[in-house]
Amino acid sequence: MAADYLQRYEENDDGLRFQELVYTGNFVDMDPVPDGILGDRIMKSRAVSGVLERVEIEAVRDDEFTIAELNDLNNYLAWNIWDVLVMRATEGASGMIPRQEYELLALMHEFYRWPELLNMTTAEIGAQGVLDLGASSRSEIGTKINAVHDWAIGAAGFGMGRCALLALEVIGPDDYIEESSSILKFMQRVLWGKRQDGWILNSQDRYRCQIHTPEFLDSLTPAIEPIESGSPPHDALIQFNAAAELLSFLDHFDCRLGLGDTGPYQLPNGNVLIIRDLFCNEDAYHWSDVCDHEGVPYCYTVMLEIDPQGMGLQEIRVNDISTTFTRPKNYIPNVVGGAIFVREKWDTPIEDVYPVPVAELGPRLTGIQNATFKLYTKLSRMSRRQLIMNGMYVYYVGMILPHLRRAGTYEKACVDYDFWEIDQRISNHYYEIGKRDFAKVTVPNKIFSGAGYLPFSENADRGRSKYFWG
Amino acid sequence: MSDGKIIGEGYNCFETDKRAQGTVLYLPDPNAVISLIQSGKLKEHVLLAQGGTTTFLAPALSMGAIGVITLSGAPESHLGILSREFQIPCIMTAYLLSSEARYVTGGENDAHFDEVIGALNGKNVSLNCTDGETGLIELLD
Repeated sequence: MAADYLQRYEENDDGLRFQELVYTGNFVDMDPVPDGILGDRIMKSRAVSGVLERVEIEAVRDDEFTIAELNDLNNYLAWNIWDVLVMRATEGASGMIPRQEYELLALMHEFYRWPELLNMTTAEIGAQGVLDLGASSRSEIGTKINAVHDWAIGAAGFGMGRCALLALEVIGPDDYIEESSSILKFMQRVLWGKRQDGWILNSQDRYRCQIHTPEFLDSLTPAIEPIESGSPPHDALIQFNAAAELLSFLDHFDCRLGLGDTGPYQLPNGNVLIIRDLFCNEDAYHWSDVCDHEGVPYCYTVMLEIDPQGMGLQEIRVNDISTTFTRPKNYIPNVVGGAIFVREKWDTPIEDVYPVPVAELGPRLTGIQNATFKLYTKLSRMSRRQLIMNGMYVYYVGMILPHLRRAGTYEKACVDYDFWEIDQRISNHYYEIGKRDFAKVTVPNKIFSGAGYLPFSENADRGRSKYFWG
Repeated sequence: MSDGKIIGEGYNCFETDKRAQGTVLYLPDPNAVISLIQSGKLKEHVLLAQGGTTTFLAPALSMGAIGVITLSGAPESHLGILSREFQIPCIMTAYLLSSEARYVTGGENDAHFDEVIGALNGKNVSLNCTDGETGLIELLD
């Protein structure tokens, strides 16, 4: 099969369908929307404001969104969440970590608590400072200021958090408008600063996350070693990539915050490059001590050079949760080159990030495997409540931790804003979400399906928040 | 080409000519996963798990599992992604061809799960994952 993936980047191309399901959301009287490039185009066409088109920096510097802009972002994020997560909704109970429960609590916690934390950070560093947070990732690897974290600010903290609270019927559709605007503005600024092409989401740009400057890429690509499919070096690279990716999932309680892809970058020889950050040891989490004991660094960055002709590549998506999917699905046999970089700590200067030859990965793979088994054993002995609370922190703290750390406001958030405390409303919701299968049903049927993202009323009072609770 | 009688199918996580062949072992909880790792018999079994998440099977994947069947989940699930990265043949949301029962997201699936586990656990099977969409479970004896 000839590789025609470059056609996906032509203006009128609709892209492929990766799934048979379709999205309805708030557009109940209109045709359902598919996934992918065509879905993005339809969603943009249904927007009332210009917020889903390429946005100028002056608009990004504005402090507030209009109601129309908020509704457009709400609808688009609902589709975007459906696009990347609806099939994940089929995965059912973990058997290890009560993920739907911790996700729900964290999402609601984020919607309640993040607005003042993000406003405080903006007050400390200014709107330009928030734009600069995003821009910092253009010339770094091993940074969590990346697609999934930046997306999560708005998609999780606003979109899914508000959706969950609406489903629990503890807020109404016109509550917390100012707070919603605060969350989304922070997201828009970080993402705009990162991309600098006017778009904010990868799905708006045909699933490209080509954020690195050519100069920065030129500093990395000389480390790529050519490898032959089926050869021992190929097996070593693939095994290492997979094992590190697995530990990154486990360290982040089975969520994608441990994984960050950028690309696809076009190499001069016609091949495609994916740059993958695998965060295997997040020191903010106490259970990561086993990773310390095995010498596992904060981040391994894996560069994968893929031969598109060899696999007959039809489409490649780096989606907004930093994950790469291709058609055909299996790109691994067509990895023809690779490199590994190490960032020891989250604040290790980029100049001190160093490469590791493929031939020297063996001891590091052993460390990853040992840490995986030790971490698994540790998690298997945690109570359900401990697992839910820890997972809740991975979302609620972890999603904005990199931004606050980089902004220098993390300590202030901890000391002055009780960042690591659990809001009493969330503690109460802990019991509510266990009743009537609320978590088990709401996550797939309301949040991942895109069905529960109610719009704001056109003439709603922006200051209306929480004056009546009943 | 089929090696045996096809008794089940499900989502194929990725296209591969690799065949996973072994005795199906149902893993009900993390302790069963730990015991399997410690037994040294990991590579004798095609692993059967209820959920489609990746953490549950984490050490088994990392230590070299040969094949995986799940009763829920899809290639976009974390386990689906990781099986592709490890190149471990994996069939998700598997069901029996002899039964009408299918997995329902967010629904009551216990009877369906029990039926599939009862039919597959302990059987010698081969996973055929050559098709882009559908993986086949073939009974070898």
